[in-house]
Amino acid sequence: MSPGHGLTEQYDYEVIKKFAVMGVVYAVVGFLVGVLIASQLTWPDLNFGIAQLSFGRLRPLHTSAVIFAFGGSVLFATSYYVVQRTCKARLFSDFLSAVTFWGWNLVVVLVVITYPLGLTQGKEYAETIWPIDLLITVVWVAYLINFVGTLAKRKEPHIYVANWFYLAFIITVAMLHVVNNLAIPVNLTDSYPVFAGVRDAMVQWWYGHNAVGFFLTAAFLGLMYYFVPKQAERPVYSYRLSIVHFWALAFLYIWAGPHHLHYTALPDWASTLGMTFSLMLLLPSWGGMINGIMTLSGAWHKLRTDPILRFFVVSLSFYGMSTFEGPMMSIKSVNALSHYTDWTIGHVHSGALGWVAMVSFGALYHMIPRLWGTTIHSVGLINLHFWLSTIGVVIYITAMWISGIMQGLMWRAYDQFGNLTYSFAETVEAMHPYYLIRTLGGVVFLLGALVMVYNVVMTIRNAPAPTGLRTPQAARAAA
Amino acid sequence: MSEHDKEAGTTGHQWDDDEGYPLKEYSNPLPRWWLYTFYATIVFSVGYWFLYPAWPLADGFTPGTLGWSQYRQLDEELAEAKAARKPFDDQLAQLSLDQIRQDPRLAAYAIAAGKAIFGDNCAPCHGSGGVGAKVGGFPALVDDDWLYGGTLETIHATVDNGRQGAMPAHLDSAGGALNDQQVRDLVEYVVAVSGRPAADQEAVARGKELFHGDAACNACHGDGGKGSLTGKVAGEAVDANIGAPNLTDAIWLFGGERDTLYATIAQGRTGHMPAWGAGFEGTGRKLDPLAIKQVTLYVHNLGGGQ
Repeated sequence: MSPGHGLTEQYDYEVIKKFAVMGVVYAVVGFLVGVLIASQLTWPDLNFGIAQLSFGRLRPLHTSAVIFAFGGSVLFATSYYVVQRTCKARLFSDFLSAVTFWGWNLVVVLVVITYPLGLTQGKEYAETIWPIDLLITVVWVAYLINFVGTLAKRKEPHIYVANWFYLAFIITVAMLHVVNNLAIPVNLTDSYPVFAGVRDAMVQWWYGHNAVGFFLTAAFLGLMYYFVPKQAERPVYSYRLSIVHFWALAFLYIWAGPHHLHYTALPDWASTLGMTFSLMLLLPSWGGMINGIMTLSGAWHKLRTDPILRFFVVSLSFYGMSTFEGPMMSIKSVNALSHYTDWTIGHVHSGALGWVAMVSFGALYHMIPRLWGTTIHSVGLINLHFWLSTIGVVIYITAMWISGIMQGLMWRAYDQFGNLTYSFAETVEAMHPYYLIRTLGGVVFLLGALVMVYNVVMTIRNAPAPTGLRTPQAARAAA
Repeated sequence: MSEHDKEAGTTGHQWDDDEGYPLKEYSNPLPRWWLYTFYATIVFSVGYWFLYPAWPLADGFTPGTLGWSQYRQLDEELAEAKAARKPFDDQLAQLSLDQIRQDPRLAAYAIAAGKAIFGDNCAPCHGSGGVGAKVGGFPALVDDDWLYGGTLETIHATVDNGRQGAMPAHLDSAGGALNDQQVRDLVEYVVAVSGRPAADQEAVARGKELFHGDAACNACHGDGGKGSLTGKVAGEAVDANIGAPNLTDAIWLFGGERDTLYATIAQGRTGHMPAWGAGFEGTGRKLDPLAIKQVTLYVHNLGGGQ
């Protein structure tokens, strides 16, 4: 009798399957909108003169689709998967699981409707109007209770490190979301924030930066701490490092937001704190990369045959690179060059595509066959997806680095008399070729995601019909 | 077995051991380089807090020993830039446009400054480098074809006070006095005076009569369509401030194809060059007198200055 027998009844895999499928769907949707708006920057005629399809309205749709729809679905799926398996306990409440799935997807649908209509509260990554904010809060509290409830009834004596990261993510995002969206409604679609002026800006970037820190970093580190050792079949490199970098990360990240507001109305002292805490954040961020990469030491030969591990190694490399780049960009004098330029866009995408998306792909490829009790349809297609993703990211961020640094240098270029050398329009013209290259990188990355869709659909279609026995061992035995 | 040796180094905890490889953790120490680099960033940050404004207090904040503030940095950098430009700016303010143009160093300074001003204010209509745009009828500034004049004085007047061009509608249905056939005849005449083969010589003749007669096109465009700048009506110069284009060259404001000419004559055209200086409608001035001098010299230098 296989050791996994009976687990599928014990664990709630149904909600994970639903979130995993929606994660794959939203990945394609988010990347597609990204390619569209990248194309609009390259060829402005693609705005078609239609307000609902214009860049300004689709850009927040793109960011929300990739971060909250795709990233969020992957996090719900993997956190539910990880917490059950590492606690040996079924999710706390089937009802709350359903609330999180249907609630989260309702939020996504409402976002898709409201953003193109121009209904926004104008806060980056928090554009949702107040009724949707309330819905998000309800879903998030359900998520918190469900997660903590599962931890509480665990049958293991210790809480695995991945769960610390997931829990930190859930608690912090709850706090960030509630505080940043404190507002007084004036009608169904409009509200005024309770904070005014630079305080509002500071609260917004306290939220915005920690959305990156806890949604896109801490949570995905949780994912990494489960899937990398599981896939590599190696113990995590250092338990001590995991503790130290977890607490350092959680403590330091929350201060770093002001680096988004250097050289603005923000007081100098806040700017300094934002910069110095960002610098101190470098090594705690790298702790996750070290623990991930070093877990693979002794298993490097597996990279030759396992494209899922390739996804993990490359994602950790991009994670290390962008968590180095971030503190550098937070230094005031560097920020004076990089701020408001495409360099920021390049930085965000080396994190979002290189780290978040690629580590998510790896986790999905690991998890989906196990959820459906089968094996992946094609390892070769995972490999194809890996190469398309890697090439797409490299094209994208290289174009944005060149474009962004050029843009910053052109803005500050003076001639021998102290006159500005370039007009704004000339800088835009100079960036055009790189916008084209960036679009190309996005298309390649999107193609990779389409390969994943095909592979996932074929895997699920080929899965054995649901019975009591749906473990991989059973599937292999049946094959 | 080597696997066994490594097992000895784990914490002894184990998770998810029902299926696949169980999760375990080595009890490796913190990497030294990691720890010391982490300490270094902390030391750097604490040092930075002593030098720069850093921690909020009940009343104010710790100012840092360097006395730095972003506003002071801005003021210093602006003062530095201004000081470097002051010798030039002072001369530019005193000297006439012609005098500036005679001084190669001053002219080079003014033109470089004018380029930046042009790029941010004028290029949206006139195009980068002043190439113009037929859609919207924005004149090219790089050629020697001028509506109001290409001397330093006329360019300065154009920028300072703006220009309003008005070509009335002539088709009866648009409020004019001509029928469709008459407009077509005028089109043929304009095609002919611009040196292109006309399809119908009789139409050209009829058009010519209209041009100098009932339609009175020559009142603005001058006899033979030479434009308000150089044209004459019955021996007398046309008012150069009308800005009626020369129709005898190959340069067209809105386009010289028959369809476009028909639309221009039938529906009329308006041109609106805003005032950027003395004539600016609003609070204060859009560009200060120095900037207008600079941009004038830049435009004059684009290729067609007279």
